[in-house]
Amino acid sequence: MQSYSSVVARTQDQRYQGSADIVIVGNGIAGLTAAVEARRLAPDMRIVMITEQCHPTINTPALKQFATGKLEREQLLAYPVGTERSQRIQVLHGRVEEINAQSKYVCLQGGGYIGYGVLLLATGSTANGLPENLPGRDFDGVLTLHRLQNYLDLRRRLNEVDEVAVVGGGLHAIETVTSLLHMGIQTHWFIRRKTCLSRVMDQRASAVVMKHIEKAGARIHCETEVVGIVGSVGTVAGVVTTYNQLISCQLVLVCTGTRPVTTLAEHCTLPMMYERDRGIFVNNQLRTSVPGIYAAGDVAAINNPQTGVHEIRAQWYAAVVQGCSAAAIMTGQHPSTVPPFGVPWHATRIGELAMLTVGNPLGRAEGSITLADSNKGTYRRLSLLDDRLIGYISLGTARSDGLAIKRLIDEGHSIRALKEPLLKGTFDGRKYFSQQHSTTVIAMTTGGNTSPLHSLYHSPAAPGTMVESMLVALPSSSAGSQSRKLLSYDRKRGH
Amino acid sequence: MLKPITLHQAGSQVTEELRACIGCNECLLACPALTEPITIDVLNMQTFSEPISSPVARFARSCYQCGACVDPCPVGLHRDAMMMWLKVRLLRSGQGK
Repeated sequence: MQSYSSVVARTQDQRYQGSADIVIVGNGIAGLTAAVEARRLAPDMRIVMITEQCHPTINTPALKQFATGKLEREQLLAYPVGTERSQRIQVLHGRVEEINAQSKYVCLQGGGYIGYGVLLLATGSTANGLPENLPGRDFDGVLTLHRLQNYLDLRRRLNEVDEVAVVGGGLHAIETVTSLLHMGIQTHWFIRRKTCLSRVMDQRASAVVMKHIEKAGARIHCETEVVGIVGSVGTVAGVVTTYNQLISCQLVLVCTGTRPVTTLAEHCTLPMMYERDRGIFVNNQLRTSVPGIYAAGDVAAINNPQTGVHEIRAQWYAAVVQGCSAAAIMTGQHPSTVPPFGVPWHATRIGELAMLTVGNPLGRAEGSITLADSNKGTYRRLSLLDDRLIGYISLGTARSDGLAIKRLIDEGHSIRALKEPLLKGTFDGRKYFSQQHSTTVIAMTTGGNTSPLHSLYHSPAAPGTMVESMLVALPSSSAGSQSRKLLSYDRKRGH
Repeated sequence: MLKPITLHQAGSQVTEELRACIGCNECLLACPALTEPITIDVLNMQTFSEPISSPVARFARSCYQCGACVDPCPVGLHRDAMMMWLKVRLLRSGQGK
């Protein structure tokens, strides 16, 4: 509790820039989503968002489409122009340098400070980039792809280059390589390890991805690192590899991952639990270890319910969901209204190849089994514990309903009857859950009870009274019959 | 035989899908019914919570649910279900005709 004298002293201080019920640091998607949602839930609260960025919130996953000219800058906006103003969210352009958690204010660069009721840290991540001592890393044409400015730079250059080197073995690198190939640019892809996506994919899945990208025209250099960049009059002319090869290129695109920006956890007057590479630790309500301070988005390490480990989910969907949840908690909603985050999922498209990972596909839980099916450039892998799905990988031209599969895991559905469609990529999540939902609606109307399934996924934003299913005549042949033929898949106990 | 099917997804599912939208615009690029410059941020906002503007209302009315928007989505979302939700909102708001 603050004393009257301290409040008076603060208001008489020239550096005091007022206070707000909610102060949000960072205007990435987690920050702005939290602000917009908080405004919806609390029309009268004062909301301030402090950001160092010189642009509004953008759809960062769409930056590659922007770089290749498929989108214009205006199409990158995550919320319509003027949202902050219309939602009465005060935006301050500045840098927060310290948090005084006892007196509840943040110090700004230049000496000002702002008081807060609750504080949300949505400071995002920063790119790892190339090693500090890599020769040639300062040449013009070496771009670490992370922020809008990097992609503006890339977009200006792409029409003038023939050959590009991409460094990194993750999804960011893969999407970059695919975008370049789509533009007809000769692309060299350097991967430190033997396989790509080694954290989320097994070797067979990785091989499918790499074969697909190679077929599209990329030169893949596995177990190869760039040890130096050669220049010509200040600009990139090529890269030197660990095998002493010189490969000609005019651009080096660095996609070597990100790390959370935990600076404010380090500069807080009360100890906040964090690790530099793992983020700020939060509980399921996104509370940090310091009272009144929350974290969301790429900086927040949340508990993975399958592994029990706190980890960052540097994904768009996770940031949006966390922004909404943070807003609910910060505005005083009951924690039970905040749905659990569940397991991670990620979906993307690599050229014609749709890729999906859900849950813990490489997990080695005791008693778990793995089912896999590969055929003509497609691959699917299920990790099961009893009849429950715990992890899923899908690669193929047909897209999978990732959110529905995530829901199968989160809600612990038995997939006894779904193994075959999941393995073959024919699982129809919409149909499955509509049948589930119809059952729920019938139960609600006849028994008056709301099922756990409904309450778990009910959103306050939903109109709610809509009748969601109807009785219509269907030919009996389309009544959801599933093939029962045996599959020839690998079955490995304990993997 | 009468079978219950869902004509459009439950509101909570549509909300989840809107949250997962990465704004790449691929669905709008594939849409044969889109004749006005509507951006994905505006469409997403008005699909669920905001008042529906005239361009978005015209777009929702002209959508004939061909499904061309579904396949290009890199994240595997159902824009057709979102459009159906928008159409229902439009009807409920009296702007459906």
